[in-house]
Amino acid sequence: MNALLLSALMGVVMMFSGIVLKSKAAIRNIAIAGMLALLLVNILEMNGTVFLVIDSKGMIGFDRFALLFNSIIFFSTFLYLTLSARDMEKVGVNYAEYLALIFFILCGIALVSSFRSLIILFLGIEIISIPLYILTGSDKLNLKSNEASLKYFLLGSFSTGLMLMGIALIYGAKGTFYTSGINMVNGAISPLLIAGMLLLMFSMAFKVSVAPFHFWTPDVYDGAPTVFTSFMATIVKAGVFIAFIRLFDEGFASQQPKWKLIIAILTAATLLIGNITAVFQQSVKRMLAYSSIAQAGFMLLSVYAMSPDSKEGLILYAAAYCMATIGIFAVLIKMSDYTFDGFNGFAKQQPLLAAVTTIFLLSLAGIPLTAGFMAKFYMIKAAMYNSGLLWLPILALVMAAVSVSYYFRVIQAMYFRESSTPSTLTVTPAFRYTLVALAALVVLLGIFPNLLLAWLYF
Amino acid sequence: MFQLLQSGLNGTGAGSYLPVVIQIIFAVGLVAFLMVVTHMLGPKRKTTDKLQNFSSGIESHGDARHPMAIKYFLTAILFVLFDVEVIFFYPYAVNFKMLGWNGFWAVMLFVAFFLCGFIYIIKKGALKWED
Repeated sequence: MNALLLSALMGVVMMFSGIVLKSKAAIRNIAIAGMLALLLVNILEMNGTVFLVIDSKGMIGFDRFALLFNSIIFFSTFLYLTLSARDMEKVGVNYAEYLALIFFILCGIALVSSFRSLIILFLGIEIISIPLYILTGSDKLNLKSNEASLKYFLLGSFSTGLMLMGIALIYGAKGTFYTSGINMVNGAISPLLIAGMLLLMFSMAFKVSVAPFHFWTPDVYDGAPTVFTSFMATIVKAGVFIAFIRLFDEGFASQQPKWKLIIAILTAATLLIGNITAVFQQSVKRMLAYSSIAQAGFMLLSVYAMSPDSKEGLILYAAAYCMATIGIFAVLIKMSDYTFDGFNGFAKQQPLLAAVTTIFLLSLAGIPLTAGFMAKFYMIKAAMYNSGLLWLPILALVMAAVSVSYYFRVIQAMYFRESSTPSTLTVTPAFRYTLVALAALVVLLGIFPNLLLAWLYF
Repeated sequence: MFQLLQSGLNGTGAGSYLPVVIQIIFAVGLVAFLMVVTHMLGPKRKTTDKLQNFSSGIESHGDARHPMAIKYFLTAILFVLFDVEVIFFYPYAVNFKMLGWNGFWAVMLFVAFFLCGFIYIIKKGALKWED
């Protein structure tokens, strides 16, 4: 509740800071300080300090899982702002508004991570989506950005319509919006409930870009300004995933035999399409868009397995994926050429940046001693122990091997190719230090994943 | 999903929707009937004035795909926004006593957020008509 209120308040503060303050550095510092405050009040709530109790009639419930997840989200956003907030200035003139929209999105994520009622789920998803449409089209003079925004808006509102239809059908079957009430079994299962559940599943699958609902993702991620792609592909995606797992854990646990196979098929399709298509990309930005689809496939394994194991796995996966991808994007934003060739000879020009980028790529590929390995391990372990289907974890393993090929293409370009043009890259020392700290965190989580997971219980 | 396919049209499901289906058939039928009937019965005297697009008695200039100043659009959309705010007051007014102080503070919060937005658009110059 602390973070929910503060994030909405910070959004308003950022809106007005753009009018009152003229210096962009001051606006940026307010945003970063606000982000730290958000993280702090959320950690305080984990320790039992709640500033303001609002009776939501049980529609919102902040449990340990939601709070820890929010902490990861806020921490990732803090890193994202320290690394990339400076680059937002280049997108357009409305600097303070971009930051305000980011705070509003965080408010939406705080809602969907803790919903107990489908109304709150809908509200949260919309609070996340609408600012994203604006951020995608924020590069107003760029035609690709406009196209991406329109495409995202049309498809996004269509899937929102599906979600509303699903919620309406479920209400028709059960007479309640509360997930606990929906989960209760009394008498024969109404076909309305199953139809509603499927519609909800598909619209959630759209929001996290699970195949076959992924077609918007490459275009939107490619067209959006790279700073905002970084935010969309990491923090927002992870935030919607917690809603996904919460919905199926609390709302439809009793219907498991009905949806388990469908989720398994969606997972397999996502893993296959995301990984295979990523191999053929020429632009690193587009490759990362497909990689985000592939990673969504791994995260979907946690919905499939649906056990305490898989919840731990999702926490770890969200952290590992967010940190590594934010790091790669922070470097990518600084590049002038987004193709694989743009990375040629990068290791000679910027040895430190190349080294940390390598660590992030290794983490995404799931190489041991990085957080990504532990995350993939937890996911596949959960899928192995909690299912009758053995082919799914095996497919996930094979696809993890396929993903190595396109992640390593960047490493190969950086270390084993000669550059034809001199580097024009300029980075501040603060950027370097933050990036090194981020890489250290990725390695640390890879060795001691319990540093994070212990928070779930103590 | 398979449950959905197996369950027939009897039982708890589709049978109770018969009135809705009748309603739909009636609505579609009425529209079709009226269109056909007016087409066949009414006299037709076409003049150039009658065939023109008509809006509030003002002569039309060009077609709708004409670029126009963004401020018209902005004013219209902001009007809709604050119009919708007032709509939310109606259910609150009906339940005013029942919701008590809790509801009062919730509505105050809602209005406060809206007021912030209002001050913001004025400060940003969204309602400034002359540039």
